[in-house]
Amino acid sequence: MNAAVSLQNVSYAYPGSGHGVANLSLDIQPGELIAVIGPSGCGKSTLLKLVAGFLQPDAGRLLLNGRDAGALLPQQREIGIVFQAYALFPHMTAAENVAYPLKLRGLAKAARLARANAMLARVGLSDRAHQRPGQLSGGQQQRVALARALVFNPQALLLDEPLSALDASLRIGMRDEIRHLQREHGIATLHITHDQEEALSIADRIVVMRDGRVLQVATPREIYERPVDAMVAGFVGQANLWPGNLTAPDRIDTAIGMLQILPQPDFAPGQPTIAMVRPEAVRLGAAGDGINGFSGAVVRDRYLGALRRFDLSIPGGVIAGETASAEPVTAVHIPPSAIRLLPAQ
Amino acid sequence: MAFVTIAYLVYLLVPILLLLVGSVGETWFNTLLPQGMTGAWYVQVASDGSFRRAFTTSLIVCAGTCLVSALIALPLAYSLHNMAHRGVKTVLRVIALLPVAVPPLVLGFGFVLVFSSDELPFLGSLWVLVGGHVALALPYLLQALVADMRHLNLAMLEQAAAAMGAGFAARFFDIVLPSLRHSLLSGLIMVAALSLGEFQLSNLVAGFLTRPYPVVLLQAFYGATGFACAATVVLLGLALIAAVSGGLTARSARGLQGVAS
Repeated sequence: MNAAVSLQNVSYAYPGSGHGVANLSLDIQPGELIAVIGPSGCGKSTLLKLVAGFLQPDAGRLLLNGRDAGALLPQQREIGIVFQAYALFPHMTAAENVAYPLKLRGLAKAARLARANAMLARVGLSDRAHQRPGQLSGGQQQRVALARALVFNPQALLLDEPLSALDASLRIGMRDEIRHLQREHGIATLHITHDQEEALSIADRIVVMRDGRVLQVATPREIYERPVDAMVAGFVGQANLWPGNLTAPDRIDTAIGMLQILPQPDFAPGQPTIAMVRPEAVRLGAAGDGINGFSGAVVRDRYLGALRRFDLSIPGGVIAGETASAEPVTAVHIPPSAIRLLPAQ
Repeated sequence: MAFVTIAYLVYLLVPILLLLVGSVGETWFNTLLPQGMTGAWYVQVASDGSFRRAFTTSLIVCAGTCLVSALIALPLAYSLHNMAHRGVKTVLRVIALLPVAVPPLVLGFGFVLVFSSDELPFLGSLWVLVGGHVALALPYLLQALVADMRHLNLAMLEQAAAAMGAGFAARFFDIVLPSLRHSLLSGLIMVAALSLGEFQLSNLVAGFLTRPYPVVLLQAFYGATGFACAATVVLLGLALIAAVSGGLTARSARGLQGVAS
């Protein structure tokens, strides 16, 4: 089966700035939701504009359902887009907004309004069909934009930070809703976001980008548990990162001391490496066998409701940890299995 | 604060009030207020051939100016807004706004020079009047449109429409024009008000039979006070209608956009 969207060695540089994307390859399978994350200026919005056709690649190929789309104008690509600022037409009602793509496809007024209203019902806005965007809340506008992007059964859906303008409380509900609608339509989706938690929670696969390049493409679990480098580890979730030297296959010498690890085949002694430990893997109390135990004083303690995140100051550095317990923390240990080695840049 | 405001309003309104009073006064000579009351001055203005012709001329020139301005300003504002290159954009904007800085008198002289030549002997025609008014009023309309395009983020709306399958024509007529209807209307009313009241340029380029109302009005000041007042009140009424409707549209447009943003 052809990928719904396929980028092959695509490069684009903004004239004069050199920013953009370089030699980017990515396949989005039908029905797949891919989240693209990365710091601002990493090229994730450029990627979206290239797929939408708002920018033309300097090099490389773009295929939509197996057909070369490089020469197609945006209006010929059959792609639904939800913009960060929604881009609803202010002079049209919610129903007219949703019906507009159908109008462009020549549907009669009654037929297109019927379909628009059905689509609005799916996003729970039946009672708002006759209101203008200005009379709707941010979340409601978001739903109208989503309905409008899906109503003409596009080949792919592009979401440009669609939740960033919403309140935190609304965001989580909306993201589940996006996931639900996306599943229902079985539509290949590219979701641009700067919120790594959002990406982890709804994506089938995550693309992490920096400086116009793809650092890693993998499932959320793989990205979190086996990041390819310290940049990905630091960008997705929290991580303790300690540069060090492998002195033996199961030992790494770091600023906080010698850590015992499980041997990891990709890394040979003598190679500069980074030891990564997720905060939730840090165990409270001294280790029964005395391995990787540290004691010190808590310098920061953040209460996060269900858990607390603490920074334990020890000779040579700080260990960030997480616990559900309210007990004072004086000693921790790190199980060797929780330490993952990453290449040093 | 209140005192300054009131003083300023009095300063603005007293001459207008005196005009109104004078236009219905029978005789006004060496007294604070005119003596007697009459509607005769208005009847005289209405039956004066040159005033009637000037009134019609002004309306025709005004309508022509609005039409031509809209036809020029819409595509111009659109290309200004969509222009990618910053430098070109700035230069074009300065050129488009230049007529604001140039006194109408200077522009008028230019028109006289150009249109009294043998090649372009159009001085005195309605077209030259319309052309002059367009040059004077266009910058204001252009500004209103460009500002609205920026406010609405029109480029994004168009991208959204394009992604749904809208080609250029569909985008222009379904999205661009309707989104801009408020600023276009209020801008055009401004254009109308400017055209109706324009004197400096018109005085230079109008022919004897194409004199617009303000130019003919000047003649009235050499006659009876009551006649002059009545003739001025007519112009004031026209301008007022334009200004008030302009204000109302601007307000309703702001109201709508206020809800939208």
